[in-house]
Amino acid sequence: MSATTTGIESRSAPLRTRARVISNEPDGRGRTLRLAVPGWPGAIPGQFLMLGPGAEAGVARRDPLLPRPMAVYRDLGVVSGAAEPSIEVLYRVVGRGTTLISEAQPGQSIPLVGPLGRGFPVAPGPGLALLVGGGTGIASLYELARALLRAGRPVLVLLGARSQDDLIGRRDFEALDLELVCATEDGSHGVAGRVTEPLAERLRRAVGEASGASRAGIEVFAVGPTPMMRACAGIAAELGVRCLVSLENPMACGFGVCLGCAAPRAEGGFSLVCRAGPVFDAREIAWEGLP
Amino acid sequence: MSGAETPGGAAGVDERVVLAGIPLRNAVLTASGTFGYGTEFAPFLDLTQIGGFVAKSLTLEPRFGNPPPRIAETPAGMLNAISIENVGVRAFLEEKLPALPEGVVVIASAFGTAPEVYAELVARVSAHPRIAGVEINASCPHVKAGGIEFGQDPKLLAELVRTVRAATQGPLLVKLSPNVTRIADMARVCEAEGADGITLINAVQAMEVDVERRRPVLSNILGGLSGPAIRPIALRMVWQAAQAVKIPICGVGGITDASDAVKFLLCGATAVQVGTTNYLDPGAAAAIARGIADYAQRHGFARVADLTGALDARRG
Ligand SMILES: Cc1cc2nc3c(=O)[nH]c(=O)nc-3n(C[C@H](O)[C@H](O)[C@H](O)COP(=O)(O)OP(=O)(O)OC[C@H]3O[C@@H](n4cnc5c(N)ncnc54)[C@H](O)[C@@H]3O)c2cc1C
Ligand SMILES: Cc1cc2nc3c(=O)[nH]c(=O)nc-3n(C[C@H](O)[C@H](O)[C@H](O)COP(=O)(O)O)c2cc1C
Ligand code: FES
Repeated sequence: MSATTTGIESRSAPLRTRARVISNEPDGRGRTLRLAVPGWPGAIPGQFLMLGPGAEAGVARRDPLLPRPMAVYRDLGVVSGAAEPSIEVLYRVVGRGTTLISEAQPGQSIPLVGPLGRGFPVAPGPGLALLVGGGTGIASLYELARALLRAGRPVLVLLGARSQDDLIGRRDFEALDLELVCATEDGSHGVAGRVTEPLAERLRRAVGEASGASRAGIEVFAVGPTPMMRACAGIAAELGVRCLVSLENPMACGFGVCLGCAAPRAEGGFSLVCRAGPVFDAREIAWEGLP
Repeated sequence: MSGAETPGGAAGVDERVVLAGIPLRNAVLTASGTFGYGTEFAPFLDLTQIGGFVAKSLTLEPRFGNPPPRIAETPAGMLNAISIENVGVRAFLEEKLPALPEGVVVIASAFGTAPEVYAELVARVSAHPRIAGVEINASCPHVKAGGIEFGQDPKLLAELVRTVRAATQGPLLVKLSPNVTRIADMARVCEAEGADGITLINAVQAMEVDVERRRPVLSNILGGLSGPAIRPIALRMVWQAAQAVKIPICGVGGITDASDAVKFLLCGATAVQVGTTNYLDPGAAAAIARGIADYAQRHGFARVADLTGALDARRG
């Protein structure tokens, strides 16, 4: 029941398959899970998957029951020497499901449905793109950064976390040809404090220095904890800049049938995060109604 | 997961069943609220490979549900308090139904706050040629006015079924609430008032608490429990209802595979509905149908219909 449409719809239908674990390695306080996915059609940056809560054992798992939504971190395509496309998921162990996923061994298989949802719109042009990632939200930004670079956009990535080890995926971003700013609350890496502070400063500067098309094309892309996204949306709105966010509501199905992931809309009613989103223009969301 | 085809093992088994006067190509339907309006599943399974599906419960007007959080996972199951969010009867008939491929059996589900409202809805949907039958949801566990009260009070239930029966000649199923003391009494009321069949169970009323925040996990406080956690309760209720009435029963609750489904048939169900399992394995219903046929063949049943009530319940 949603009329929205900031996010970009996929070219290809989702598939339901078993992914094979290639590797599952720690990355600071996070982990990177690399999967071979037969028939993977490729994802739009910002799309996600529903991943079974752990590798399949002999008997179907009934507890925990539901799959876990996870962003497609890196969409690797068919890497040389491989028969199937592979993708990566960047995740943190926060509960039962992610604990079981962290125990999945190379060679085992995990049920997967995806790619799902609508991804980020990527427009060419001279406007600066400021990508703000907090916590596991960082995972939604890697392919977005690459797509923006391909579109010729100047890209600034700002990653925020509690401390250095929580800056998951940082090395992958460092390898990209873009400016990276890290903020840690304990000051163990980059600037000390919240990531919204460098965002406000850099956005103000960009807006002040730009004119014409490069001024109009400035965009903020924020993915992370709800308070962080809400703060980013506020900073962008004050400067008249468009802000796109990706919501992480709990999900049971991921493809629009349980109606469990609803987010309240600014204009009233609800949007399904899994189907209308997870990418939204921040102005579409009634932030005070999100738990 | 249910990816693999069963290699022709069930050839020769007659999979057809008749539920409440609705001929079905096999005994597996999908449950209201877990299968959307059908088209959402097109990427995952051939809708003509299942017996049919029960669409999301409809109200006369479009309706938004509860604020988030609406769902939470619990041991071997989940809680939900969606509150019958739906597109309304007009959009269902004019937009959702025509989008479905030919040959898909669609059962509409109706929800209201008064018997007359149910009756109007049922009359409108059952007149549509694509609708094979109607299931009335007399049992939503978290809508305050209506729904569950009908399923919990035998007098209200009798009035509801009588009023709706008068509004349609088409196949009529009544979906009962598990949140009652004596399910057999409720089943008898449905039979006496002319229902063609009974569906049970809806979700079991339940709640969960976030201890760190000292808050209920759902915005609605109470929700409905579904999934494998409720399967033994559902099975018991199907068994008790089957002892009490002659009209066919559609068994629902926690079915994850063919073996779960067969249990319901053995306890007296004519058909089953797969619910929460569709979320984790959107192709499950078709695999379960194949698995039931395999079971029938392995156990020497020529017809899946012969599994109904075939439980050997002698003691010792
Ligand atoms: C579209 C989308 C994309 C996501 N992408 C990623 C990703 O790339 N990497 C990643 O690590 N995580 C991601 N998440 C969050 C991830 O799905 C949850 O962390 C995971 O489901 C938790 O499962 P669990 O069984 O380990 O935790 P549970 O036992 O279910 O919960 C443990 C704790 O985590 C909290 N929690 C559960 N689900 C969420 C959630 N959706 N958001 C925030 N907190 C939650 C619970 O409240 C609880 O306190 C994404 C979520 C969505 C909706
Ligand atoms: C998210 C959700 C929404 C549901 N919505 C409806 C509904 O609109 N109408 C209805 O009759 N039952 C609804 N149900 C109940 C299911 O149809 C089914 O009776 C119940 O979930 C038990 O079966 P299961 O354990 O296989 O899911 C819903 C269940 C869930 C989990
Ligand atoms: S997660 Fe089921 S509708 Fe969005």
